[in-house]
Amino acid sequence: MTESMRPSRRDFLNWVSASGIALSLSPLASAEAAGLPPRASLPGRSNWNPAANGAGRVDGVAKVTGAKLYASDFRASDLPGWPAKTSHAMLIRAPDATHVYLGMDLGRLTGALKPSVVVTAADLARIGARVPEFYAGDLFCPLGKTPIYLGQPVGLLIFETFDAFDQARLALRDGTFVKFGEETGPVAMPAYGAYRFTRVAGATPDTPDVYSPILAGWVSPGRSQSSPLPIWSPAAKDTEAAYAKAAVHGERIRGELAAKNPNLLVLDREFETQSVDPMFLEPESGLAWYDGRSGGLELVLGVQSPYEAADSIAHLLGEARAPFKPARINAQFTYMGGGFGGRDHTPFVLYVALAAMFFPGHPVRLAHDRYQQFQGGIKRHPFKMRSKIGVDRATGKIRAFAADHVLDGGGLANFSPNVATVGATAAIGIYDIPKVDVTTVALHSRGVTAGSMRGYGTLQTMTALEVLVDEVATALPLDPIEFRRRNALGPKGRTMTGNPYGVSVRTPEILDKLEKHPIWQQRARHKSAAPQGVLVGTGVACVTKDYGTGADCSLGRIELSPDGKVTIYCDHTEMGNGIGTALANRVALHLGAVADEVSVARVDTYDALGLVTSGDPYTMDQKTQDAAERNPRWVPAISSATSASIGAHVGTHAAAEAARVIFRFGLWPAALQLWGIAPNDRRAKDWSKAQWKDGQLVLSGLAPLPLPALAATAHARNLVTGAVAHSFSRWDWSRARFPLFGEQYRAEIDALAVRRGGGRFERINRLNVKFPPTDNNRIGTSYTSMCGTLVRIEIDRGSGALRIAKAYSVFECGQALVPEVVMGQAQGGFAMGVGYALLETLPPFEGGPGNGQWNLGQYLVARGSDLPLHDLEIEMLPPLTPDEPPKGMAEVVMVPVVPAILNAIFDATGRRFQSLPVTASLLKGVLA
Amino acid sequence: MTKLSLTINGRALGPVDVRDELSMNDFLREYLGMTGTKFGCGAAQCLSCAVIVDDPDGTSYTSPTCVASAVSFDGKTIRTIEGHARDGELSALQKAFIAHFAFQCGYCTAGFLNEGQVLLERLAKAPVKRADLESTIAEALDGHICRCTGYIKYHEAVRDVILADSKRYIVANQ
Repeated sequence: MTESMRPSRRDFLNWVSASGIALSLSPLASAEAAGLPPRASLPGRSNWNPAANGAGRVDGVAKVTGAKLYASDFRASDLPGWPAKTSHAMLIRAPDATHVYLGMDLGRLTGALKPSVVVTAADLARIGARVPEFYAGDLFCPLGKTPIYLGQPVGLLIFETFDAFDQARLALRDGTFVKFGEETGPVAMPAYGAYRFTRVAGATPDTPDVYSPILAGWVSPGRSQSSPLPIWSPAAKDTEAAYAKAAVHGERIRGELAAKNPNLLVLDREFETQSVDPMFLEPESGLAWYDGRSGGLELVLGVQSPYEAADSIAHLLGEARAPFKPARINAQFTYMGGGFGGRDHTPFVLYVALAAMFFPGHPVRLAHDRYQQFQGGIKRHPFKMRSKIGVDRATGKIRAFAADHVLDGGGLANFSPNVATVGATAAIGIYDIPKVDVTTVALHSRGVTAGSMRGYGTLQTMTALEVLVDEVATALPLDPIEFRRRNALGPKGRTMTGNPYGVSVRTPEILDKLEKHPIWQQRARHKSAAPQGVLVGTGVACVTKDYGTGADCSLGRIELSPDGKVTIYCDHTEMGNGIGTALANRVALHLGAVADEVSVARVDTYDALGLVTSGDPYTMDQKTQDAAERNPRWVPAISSATSASIGAHVGTHAAAEAARVIFRFGLWPAALQLWGIAPNDRRAKDWSKAQWKDGQLVLSGLAPLPLPALAATAHARNLVTGAVAHSFSRWDWSRARFPLFGEQYRAEIDALAVRRGGGRFERINRLNVKFPPTDNNRIGTSYTSMCGTLVRIEIDRGSGALRIAKAYSVFECGQALVPEVVMGQAQGGFAMGVGYALLETLPPFEGGPGNGQWNLGQYLVARGSDLPLHDLEIEMLPPLTPDEPPKGMAEVVMVPVVPAILNAIFDATGRRFQSLPVTASLLKGVLA
Repeated sequence: MTKLSLTINGRALGPVDVRDELSMNDFLREYLGMTGTKFGCGAAQCLSCAVIVDDPDGTSYTSPTCVASAVSFDGKTIRTIEGHARDGELSALQKAFIAHFAFQCGYCTAGFLNEGQVLLERLAKAPVKRADLESTIAEALDGHICRCTGYIKYHEAVRDVILADSKRYIVANQ
């Protein structure tokens, strides 16, 4: 297998799906008529404003007053045009994956409790439903088969009234009505993906690499017929040449690590991570109504990936027989009660749609309770890792690193291949290592499906690395921060795929901050001053985490009214990340005012661009891209999921570019008019010298101009008052020129439409588009952010109870669009890191969440009392330059917390834990 | 079926017939459409479903609604997140939550708001020493789970409301 089979993070989407079902997607616009807030208004202008300069979340008032915002809040009666009554569906899942499924015994549901409709695998086969490739596997386990995973759905029960539903769910709570027969053992299925990343640097930093994924492409091994595990050896029969080349280099690196060499310190360690649940607070929920007469399927969903959800539903029903194929699908998207990756590409939405299709004429709500969310929701991958590191004893420089990762992907492939590759390419963290060889394989198991979750594989691999590095520093011995400084990758150094980072690299600055911090400086003193019965230890870790997926899209539309009010539309979704507020602030940099209205999850307001797409942006070759881009409406992809920490960097990009166009071709010429500056005056080109100050445009020596006056002039003179833009990033933005007002305007966008005065939006055909080259698909990480953490812990010898006494995290994120949100994300990332390190765990199979009996209480997440609420210091480095673009940071802030705690535990106890979580009972055990 | 009467946000409701096993959470969300009160775990572990119960003696406390039956609220007076603002004017705590960026996704906000409000009212009657303020807030809010924020900004928001009116909440001369 070669790079052409590299997994796509997302299937591409078309406006009209291949099935011929018309798709339309919008936020809950119809809720507006019901007096609900479909668009978040800023708590300023007409309402109370918490901060004079327009700060505060755009969704702030709605969230503190209990407004209907989340998918779980809506019922049919909230939605104009829908029937008044809501019916309720229950998704039944298999608590067993080692016995043949025999069916549901619903005998206990009698009289009014009988479901109106029961949907099973046979029904899906009967109507001709198709499972989208991304979710390959039976949506319902057929009779006579062993479920392929614990928690695989077996049926959908639909009840006309809430009363019937509520009583039935009580009657079915114990799950024993799902019947199983003969024991078969778990179902064996092939691995989801296997890859090898090998790099051999040239003799000096300036010479080209001998071998790298950038030079040679990404490679995968062959597979044996009899085992799900791949064959890593280069010498195996039928091994492809491209793979063999990497494997020969890789085996040589491993040989060097195995050789007896007294000058080289070699450590060979295993590390294991656990399965955890994202535990977003709102369980998955959706509402759908199939009006059998008009043929429309209406949906209300809360997901991170709206395009994908609608397209998957269209695929599911695209070839269904009448009347199970809707003529059109109208999906509306809500705010989310947390996401953390777990609502990106979730199969849950397929069942919401099926519930409606099988009960036409009735709006149907499908909502997980917490037990069901544990049983069926996407999990974080457990990793088993073996890592070998070779360090020159004299210089303290890392010479070589080799690792083997095995991921448990659970029942469905979902994002397993991608998590494997992202985890593998993060395996050397912040370090510059000339010889690297990492293999990774994601396996199927009967566990609950694992997929996207904050950290996306890097949390697991960098935790193992940073714990290993700490052990190396102890063994050399060398101060842990000095060891990191000697080995840190510089701005021009090459990552393990062979490319340099495309953004700022501030590791030395972060290491300096860590080293000078009192927690680090006073570590020996606090350790020696530990009270009787208490062990004190200090730990450090420093990591870097990519943001972006390598094929990210940004859509934005800005409108400026004649009285200077700004309205922003964006296709990214709100899960707590503050995207709306970030948009408002980023656009304000160009337009001088915080928006009056921000509308997120909008995928319906970009028609003016007339975008089309084809192919897979991750695997496309250059020739195909070159041919496709001749169509001025073609882009490699239209819309992205809100994931991969791209909110600030990607989600706001197109809106910012649209605002820039409005400034340049609307407000600036209006200003010239008001200032009386003629077009041939040399100052007419001084737009970059003008600045916004307190809502007024200021240029030296001229009267400041308020935004409303400029907007009125722009409207009156038929200048640009609105813009719609699209851009695409493959570790670099697309670029194009657009003919506007007699000049060729250059921007980092690939599609543009503008509105003049109060007119309609008109598309501006691009010239000389430059999409990022398809070879960039060989990059592992180009956009990255750094974060370091220090923790001081105290462990009670008697009970093993661990308290975090002091902590400090320092990170960089370019220009922080909403510093308060950034700090909140960093604090939340710290809390989630503590939970992962010390508390959270799910058993993989029987006895695990797939049995439908798990809930909070048994599953522990960090509460306030687990955290140093008054002793956590977080420092956000200022941007390197005032115009440094925002960098994603919501994931990286979680990662170093985990190894820093483990390293502190070693410092306190002398014990290196090689698996997670390190619970109080484990600590008590080793201290006994 | 049992007759249920109660007062919600100052408005009397009932008597209405409800099934004995119907949860208070479903009564609010499914029958009254009051979805500001959230459903998180159904096991009284996260408290996103908590409402304020006002006792006749003038004391108030929060109660989860997910594991409590609707009929167990018969005769009671409760407040939910929908009832904190008066005539469109947000309460001091609501304003502080916004100003501090206390929440992110906001799904746990109703529970924190109710718990914080009960604390404010308790401290107004029985002020604490300044030195005990942080631990008092921490104890009051600890039952509530937030997965996004790390809790710090919630605590700061509650603390700042108290300190902004310290004569009311803090024991003098401390």
